[in-house]
Amino acid sequence: MSVTNEIVIQTHDLKKHYVMGSETVRALRGVDVAIERNEYIAIMGPSGSGKSTLMNLIGCLDTPTEGEYVLNGQPVQDLDDDELARIRNREIGFVFQTFNLLPRASALHNVELPLIYAGVSSRERIKRAKAALEQVDLADRMDHKPNELSGGQRQRVAIARALVNGPSIILADEPTGNLDSVTSEEIMTVFDALHDAGQTIIMVTHEPHITAHAERVITLRDGMIESHDAPRAARAQPV
Amino acid sequence: MFTLIGVIIGITFLIAVITVVEGMNRYVQDDFAGAIFGVNTFTVVRRSQVQTGSESQEQRRRQARNPYLTMHDVEVVRQAVPTAWRFAYSVDRGFRQVSYDEYSRKNIRVIGASDGYEALQGWDIAEGRGLTTLDERKSLKVAVIGADIAERLFPEISPIGKRIRLGSTRLEVVGVWERQGGLLGAIRDASVLVPISTFRETMAWQRDRIGEITVKTRTTEEMQASMMQVEAALRRDRLLRPGEENNFWLQTSSDLLSTWETINRILFAAIPGLVSVSLVVGGIVIMNIMLLSVAGRIREIGVRKALGATRRDILFQFLAESSTLSVAGAAIGIGLGIGLGKTVDALTPLPASVPMWSIVVSLVLGLVVGIGSGIYPAYRAAKQDPIVALRYE
Repeated sequence: MSVTNEIVIQTHDLKKHYVMGSETVRALRGVDVAIERNEYIAIMGPSGSGKSTLMNLIGCLDTPTEGEYVLNGQPVQDLDDDELARIRNREIGFVFQTFNLLPRASALHNVELPLIYAGVSSRERIKRAKAALEQVDLADRMDHKPNELSGGQRQRVAIARALVNGPSIILADEPTGNLDSVTSEEIMTVFDALHDAGQTIIMVTHEPHITAHAERVITLRDGMIESHDAPRAARAQPV
Repeated sequence: MFTLIGVIIGITFLIAVITVVEGMNRYVQDDFAGAIFGVNTFTVVRRSQVQTGSESQEQRRRQARNPYLTMHDVEVVRQAVPTAWRFAYSVDRGFRQVSYDEYSRKNIRVIGASDGYEALQGWDIAEGRGLTTLDERKSLKVAVIGADIAERLFPEISPIGKRIRLGSTRLEVVGVWERQGGLLGAIRDASVLVPISTFRETMAWQRDRIGEITVKTRTTEEMQASMMQVEAALRRDRLLRPGEENNFWLQTSSDLLSTWETINRILFAAIPGLVSVSLVVGGIVIMNIMLLSVAGRIREIGVRKALGATRRDILFQFLAESSTLSVAGAAIGIGLGIGLGKTVDALTPLPASVPMWSIVVSLVLGLVVGIGSGIYPAYRAAKQDPIVALRYE
């Protein structure tokens, strides 16, 4: 549970409409969420519920049609592409289902990437990238290319990359979707440890046993929030 | 490598041509004018021997009707410049071959030279002696030979005192010149010098014809004054009316230089066209390769953008890649071009010299082609929407 109630993410009446030909698709129809620092959130919902759209907005990959979004005290709904890129670089650590590592670069270089765009010096980059890889227990694999690593190891490299710039939130999109159940648990253990260390984590998933790790589950349906729940597992077996 | 072929060919060509042209330039300016014509030297000939490109067909036709020079003209010129530093006249013709024993050298030139010719030309004797006044007066059958002929005919023994055969004439070798080498020195190295009297008696087509009359002065001002005196004297002697063109030609080393400058100008005018064609082709190839590269890395672009790359970051990344490719191509081209120039230098008498500026120009061209051909692919990459790019399969 969060010890402070500092708000990291606050949205108000967030709407996203897409124009497809003559039709307007209302992907989000007014979403209000508040997420505090060090919360561990799972976002669920069937396909078409708007959860990808919400994730793109929270991740500053896209801007809302209407509504407000304050990330770490800064309104971001009206920023342009390059300003959003800088916000993503500083505030958000992405973890993807398909890892999305650069195939020809070593683990170390992959982890360095956000620091390059942050303008960090080469010496400092290497130091911080090594520290991040140590945090995910991959210090001995940093010169390996992604194709020399197992799926679990690749995802841990991706987590190190998400962590390296000290983001406000880690945004993970189906992070175990491409992993077997044993490896999935291993990755979830990494997330749990990050959460214990004070990290705010938002995870998009549709697997109940993954949501069991979260403190709070936000369920979307038809572009609106259906429920804010404690996960079933957590309810059944309070931590 | 194939990607870079256009740029490589373009730059190779550029460097090779510039290298040879620059080598020629150096040679013409440093050695040639002085070595062949000599400084402060002018020559009276029947008609212009070099084409400056500025004469019309009509002028050339008229010159073809000019009378041949004779011993009478030699005397007119001699009296016009009594104080000239050096004065000589000569006539020459080609011979199919010169031989000694079973050795021979084909395609040579025989020069019938007056007394003082060698001194005027500044040719140095390597072995034996030069021609003397006595040789000329007595029409002795003696010859001084070029280094190349000496080497061919006498690979093991000294040529001095040996009798070489030129057509039906036998001549005693009295001397050998120092090797001149180089493009035009090669002609002299394959020449045989005999007294002009001997030449006229034994091997001239037309006995009374003289090929050229050469005058050397101590200063340039003196040379210009002498040329005017000679022109006036010859016009008077030939009864040319004012306004009538000269029916003889005064040739100086600057004539040859201006010929070279004309060739030079044409070459330098042609280079940009030829080079730019191959560079444009090279640029198009690089652009297509870069477009393919962008298309194959949409997802990487999405990832980079998600991690905080701005449009400018992506733009620069791809521009850097296309520029690196193109500059690498230019560097290979520079290497090949220099190699080609040096090969020409080694295999032919054409000299080669690589000017520093041509390397700089080539690298700059490589960079320009790289940026020019990369800008559109890089722009395509930079404007990718990260959401679409991340989902791209």
